[in-house]
Amino acid sequence: MTGSVATRVLGAIGLAAAAVMAILALWVSPADAVQGDAVRLMYVHVPSIWVAYGSFVLTAFASARVLWRTRSGAGGTEGVIADRQARHWDRVAGAAAELGVMFTGLTLVTGSLWGKVTWGTYWQWDARLTTTVLLFVTHLGYLALRRLPAESRARARRSAVMALIAVVNLPIVHYSVDWWRTLHQEASLEIGIGGDRNYSGEMYWTLLYSWATFTLIALWIGIHRYRVLRLEELAEEAALEELLSVRRSEPSHDEPVTER
Amino acid sequence: MTDLSPRHLLPAEPDRADARRVLGRRRKAMIVGFVVLLVIAAGAATVAGLRNATLFFRNADEAIAERVELGDRRFRLQGRVVPASVAVDTGVTTFEVIHNCASVSVRHSVDPPDLFESPWIPVVLEGRWVQGDVVTVAGRDTHFFSSDNMLVKHTNEYVAANEDRVPDPNEPPEGFLDDCPFEVPRL
Repeated sequence: MTGSVATRVLGAIGLAAAAVMAILALWVSPADAVQGDAVRLMYVHVPSIWVAYGSFVLTAFASARVLWRTRSGAGGTEGVIADRQARHWDRVAGAAAELGVMFTGLTLVTGSLWGKVTWGTYWQWDARLTTTVLLFVTHLGYLALRRLPAESRARARRSAVMALIAVVNLPIVHYSVDWWRTLHQEASLEIGIGGDRNYSGEMYWTLLYSWATFTLIALWIGIHRYRVLRLEELAEEAALEELLSVRRSEPSHDEPVTER
Repeated sequence: MTDLSPRHLLPAEPDRADARRVLGRRRKAMIVGFVVLLVIAAGAATVAGLRNATLFFRNADEAIAERVELGDRRFRLQGRVVPASVAVDTGVTTFEVIHNCASVSVRHSVDPPDLFESPWIPVVLEGRWVQGDVVTVAGRDTHFFSSDNMLVKHTNEYVAANEDRVPDPNEPPEGFLDDCPFEVPRL
């Protein structure tokens, strides 16, 4: 129901890319000199959090657009356009946040397994791990807020504010390993062109390939989730229309309700 | 069926509508102000909380310098394991960790993680100072570190394992012992 030719092609490419990624990560890429085969978890763990970062940034951007498009109650054609755009960005924000939460969850699970093998523990409350959990929980809260019953415009604005608050933690998560002493190692790749990298050749390229694969898959899921959110809205509108038509068909009342 | 009351809504009187709009604006400003205050408070609490996490561990040189203040309090100690110092006897693993040319003698009472066997691996140990004469690579010391929990803190470098290029376990990481006034025994 939410599929199209483009998404089917995208899905097929994503699936094929994931199969190639598995071959690269499990067989082509070498084991690490210290960690051995445990290093292969990196090809899921690191791309997951990169995709989650991107998703949360998109959520924040779309939320800012929602607030911008709903800032005034313009009427007429302008109002209708603003409302449609706000609804569009609200769906983008919702779909992206779902992706972000899903991939942060995956990061936490794979990180925990990797931690057990290398650190010797599943979990420690160091600055990186704590701030990542906070990122996960606040965005989970954002998704919960989206589900609270409210008028759609008010709900969209309320959730948008929450998304903009939650995203403040994102740079803190990323730089926590530089700002504080953590059990988690420092970043192995510097942001920007020409930044340092601490990976052997095949590891580096496999990591970049994994990131591209995860991005493709996230895009595919994201488009479907966006369309599902649109369908949910249509279903709500249809249900409301049905209720209104039932009400209109009722006999009229003598005493109208006045505003208090 | 859901009730959709009110059935007929009459327009509000203009002065009441204006008053409501003004009140609405004030309430909105108050909510925004409250949210901003909440964010600032949450941010401050988070930063304060994380400042405690700043000292997730003390490096070996800091732990020695703060020995009097630390007393017999539990804390986390970080340093690289000297490969030639590792010995196991009746369930107790003894070894030395070095950081910034300061060496600490460690008695660890629980099985270490697998990666502990990697030469010069950085470890984070949980435990406390205990009085007792010991000899380390840096000289004599009056205390050793009694540990019952070990975490391996692997570095951010990923190097392909190569059977033709097995690193010499006696060789410390580049520059690690350059300024140290002592020699480290070989395996």
